[in-house]
Amino acid sequence: MTAPTTQQRVSHRVPLWRDVIVIKWVTQVFLLVVVLSAMLFLASQAGDNLRARNINTEFDFLHEPVMIQISEGIDTHPDTGARALWSAMVNTLRISGAGIIFATLLGVVVGLARLSDNWLVRRIASMWVEGFRNIPLLVQMIFFFSALTALPRVGLGSGPVNGWLHISNKGISMPRVFIADGFYQWAVVVLIGAVAAHYVRRHRQRIQDETGASTSPILWALATVALFGLVGLFVHPVFSWLGPVFGSIADLFDSLPNTAPQVLFSAVAIGVATIWIRRFLSAHRSARGHLSLSDDDWFRMIFVALASLAVVLLVVRWSGLSAWALNSSRDLSEVLETKFEVDGAARPFDAMRPDIIQKSRFPNYGKNGLTMSIGFASVFFAVVFYTSAFIGENVRGGILAVPKGQTEAAKAVGLKRGQVLRHVVLPQAIRVIMPPTGNQYLNLLKNTSLAIAVGYSDMVQVGTTVFNQTGMTLPVVAIWMLFYLSCSLTISVFVNWFNVRMRLVER
Amino acid sequence: MAGFGIGSEIASVAATATVPITAPPETPKLPPREWVKANLFSSPFNSVLTVVSTAILLTLSWNLLKFIFNPIRQWNASATNLRLLMTRAYPEEQYLRIWVCVAIILTLAGSSMAVWRTGSAMPVTGLGRKLLATGALLVLLALLAPFSAGATVQWLLAALVVAAVGEALRRTGGRGETERTVSTLTLQVVALAGLVASLWVIPFGHHSYIPKRIPQVMHEPGTVALSTKLPWTIMLVVVVAAYFGGVLLRDRLAENALRVTLVVLWLLAPPVLVYLILRDPDFDMGHVIGTDIPIFLAYAVLGSTLLLWLTRPSTGEIGRIVAALVLLAGFATFLSPMRMVLRLDLLLLATFALAAPTFAGGLRARKRYTGAWLVLLGVMSWLITSINTASTVRVPGGFFIGGLAITLMVAIFTIVLSVPLGIALALARTSSMPIFRLLATWFIEFVRGVPLITILIFFSIMLPLFLPRGMHLGEVAAVIIGFVLFSAAYMAENIRGGLQSVTRGQHEAAEAVGMTTAQKTVFIVLPQALRVAIPPLVGHCIGVFKETSLLAIIGVFDLLYMARYVVPGQTEFMGSARESILFVIPIYWIVCSRMSKASQRIEQRTGLGER
Repeated sequence: MTAPTTQQRVSHRVPLWRDVIVIKWVTQVFLLVVVLSAMLFLASQAGDNLRARNINTEFDFLHEPVMIQISEGIDTHPDTGARALWSAMVNTLRISGAGIIFATLLGVVVGLARLSDNWLVRRIASMWVEGFRNIPLLVQMIFFFSALTALPRVGLGSGPVNGWLHISNKGISMPRVFIADGFYQWAVVVLIGAVAAHYVRRHRQRIQDETGASTSPILWALATVALFGLVGLFVHPVFSWLGPVFGSIADLFDSLPNTAPQVLFSAVAIGVATIWIRRFLSAHRSARGHLSLSDDDWFRMIFVALASLAVVLLVVRWSGLSAWALNSSRDLSEVLETKFEVDGAARPFDAMRPDIIQKSRFPNYGKNGLTMSIGFASVFFAVVFYTSAFIGENVRGGILAVPKGQTEAAKAVGLKRGQVLRHVVLPQAIRVIMPPTGNQYLNLLKNTSLAIAVGYSDMVQVGTTVFNQTGMTLPVVAIWMLFYLSCSLTISVFVNWFNVRMRLVER
Repeated sequence: MAGFGIGSEIASVAATATVPITAPPETPKLPPREWVKANLFSSPFNSVLTVVSTAILLTLSWNLLKFIFNPIRQWNASATNLRLLMTRAYPEEQYLRIWVCVAIILTLAGSSMAVWRTGSAMPVTGLGRKLLATGALLVLLALLAPFSAGATVQWLLAALVVAAVGEALRRTGGRGETERTVSTLTLQVVALAGLVASLWVIPFGHHSYIPKRIPQVMHEPGTVALSTKLPWTIMLVVVVAAYFGGVLLRDRLAENALRVTLVVLWLLAPPVLVYLILRDPDFDMGHVIGTDIPIFLAYAVLGSTLLLWLTRPSTGEIGRIVAALVLLAGFATFLSPMRMVLRLDLLLLATFALAAPTFAGGLRARKRYTGAWLVLLGVMSWLITSINTASTVRVPGGFFIGGLAITLMVAIFTIVLSVPLGIALALARTSSMPIFRLLATWFIEFVRGVPLITILIFFSIMLPLFLPRGMHLGEVAAVIIGFVLFSAAYMAENIRGGLQSVTRGQHEAAEAVGMTTAQKTVFIVLPQALRVAIPPLVGHCIGVFKETSLLAIIGVFDLLYMARYVVPGQTEFMGSARESILFVIPIYWIVCSRMSKASQRIEQRTGLGER
């Protein structure tokens, strides 16, 4: 009657070294120990070697003066290492942003051209793809560089269109539209316009849903924003009172004690971990309240708890972090204060034509125009052409992935060609196109690091110069990794958010 | 009744399976005028597109031709420096070694082509049409390029001859009952033979760059054309002979065994070529006989006995414990000073011992497993010895080869070494063990979030700092480690895609048969996963080849570095950077596009996405 169950019998018989759970955990802990001790060994070796060569790895160089000249960007003669890396970072972000936008546009054109009815266009597009995809990016970059440096010198009356567009071995210069003093006040007007546009869109959508009439809600929303923008050009000085408001916020940040952000960060870390664990537990609880957790689940919960504790410890022990958070919040508010406290006549935008000045023997571009240096242009063209070939293939694949029946059905319902594309094909294609294209954006960001080969001052180029001067290789490499990892993370979070939004709602 | 139903279902499935797959019906060919109307001028918008793109295309190609055929272009910069571009400063009196390497690769390639039955039949009419199109293109080129009148006439004549041959083939090919075909391999051999013959016939000029203390251009007598026409002729004979040898072997021997042998030879080729032939290690025979061979023999005897015992199905639990102890001993050796070979051999033995129960079986299986251990141990011992031996090839400055040779070497070593690491990472990332998964995920995501150039800079500058004292690593080796880690992270993601495509039923069936997890992974899951992962893996290999150009940034003398800095840096060829980069672009392009074509063919042959 009371015979042992199979479970008990098996567990009696299995010796310790055959128990799956024991084997699993022993192997894992063993591997962890091996990995950790190997890393410790390497780190101690590096420490010894560095001490032997009298190199200290500190981040002091960030505050010390450096002798670096940066080819272009917000600061060409930075006074500290941190400032140099900061302007290099802006350069990297600038070229990545421009590259992503233009590569997307060109990629869509290439992808559509590969599906064109026109034989010649199709052929050219496939030559474009096959050509740019199969040549290393660096080779292309260097080729563009050597081709651009062979252009004629800049002269006072030169350029294809003198005064508007100049192309020479100093780069490409064109008219520039830029943000002027009144921009921030104008931006507030546009922000209000965006909120208004949201309600306008909802209203138009409701009318469309109720009556079935075509009310083009998106168009209305855009028109609202445009209207606010237009009106804002004239009335934007009414928001100059925001300046003192930001000033008092800055004072508030200044008066807060250092413990305030510490408490806040710790509370957030513990709160997030608690909520996560509670949700995790309730998700694993069956309807009748029975809780079954595998060792994997336990591991996850312990990991989250430990991670939140680590964050708390970090915040409490490292008071510099919270001081930094306080200071930068105060600085931001102060910057905003100065941005809003401008006199009423300031324009939000301004535009200038390129100019050529002659200071010494050779004329050069002045500061008025939007100038693409040779380095920027060669990185930009190489990255855009190379990525456009890949994005073009994604677009083509995405459109081909929409079943033919969809198009035929839409046509049978009586939709026009443009409507078929906009309402039936593209919404389905974009789901296929977007994930690989997001990967291409990541690749583009990382590929701009090859700019070191053509002397464009991006993160890697300036970082190399910094560690050649100061010998601080490890800290600079750490800053690189942190920068690129956070950029990659930002892009992938954005792409994932987009993918989730575009996902088919399955009922 | 139910049984009958199932039976008929199976019967119907079987019936559909035997239906021969026929090619889709050919679309009827339009006459030229209608084809132009349908494809170029079908609508007003299309007509505009055609006109605009024709104009752009003509302008671009006119400018390109004007650039290429401009008399001030220094194309002889690349022609003179071919030897530098291919191998850098490899000593000329040792050049026979490079030819031997090429011959070995061509032998393997020729026999592999025979064994894998590559090549297909091409209809003569299709060949004629291609020649006709080439002729038309040549006519266009002759008219666009800024030639002198005499040269234009010559080019036009050549183009017309090509077109006429094409037209003749097109007309005769279609005649008769059966369509005449020609093997693509024959065509390739004919084309190569034409190229080789041109070396004998056309005076390509006297070009050879001798890097001495004062660089000088040699005008006499060692010209590239003269010095390479005999070797290239021999190479052509070698590859044809290897092909027919492969055909003979294929018909005599078991095809499967032949394929396995060839794959093993291909895997062995890179280290043998680089370390034995090109590098020519200066073995210290006393040390080899006194230390290296005894160590190898001891490990061979002890290890084989151990493995023969461990692979016996009756060994059971004790075997696993012994294997674990061997692994522990392997790690413990790092605590006391001894030769690195001893530690590495012991770790290899531990790996084999741990995997032994997976491959347990009859006497044949046990012998085969032990044989694999002996071969791997031998290769590893020989590699360690030869890496640690100085080279007899004296090359001024840096690594012993450069140019295209180092580009290919780094690419091949990276690919070969990152496959096992990639598989291990992919398995760890899909494993049910959280610490494995976490470590693998962190590693993969970290490496994928960071640009390759930062990893390469880190490894080329910082790796020496992390090494224990007394251990040295060349820059190229350090960079290859960086490449391997980077490539393995991407490869792991491709393989993970393959692993996820293996259906649950496969796992469950393997478990139901009584396989262990290791057996299930090795014999059931991985073969299917890798088959699915082949096309993206080939794409990844193309990426690795393209990424080797980054070597130029960190100052390794690869093909791109030669073309950008070395050749234009010579006083005779100042300012020829554009020419030499335009010269290396086709080299990169041909390799990459051939590989991508091969990947498409593999995808079609394995029928992925259709089954």
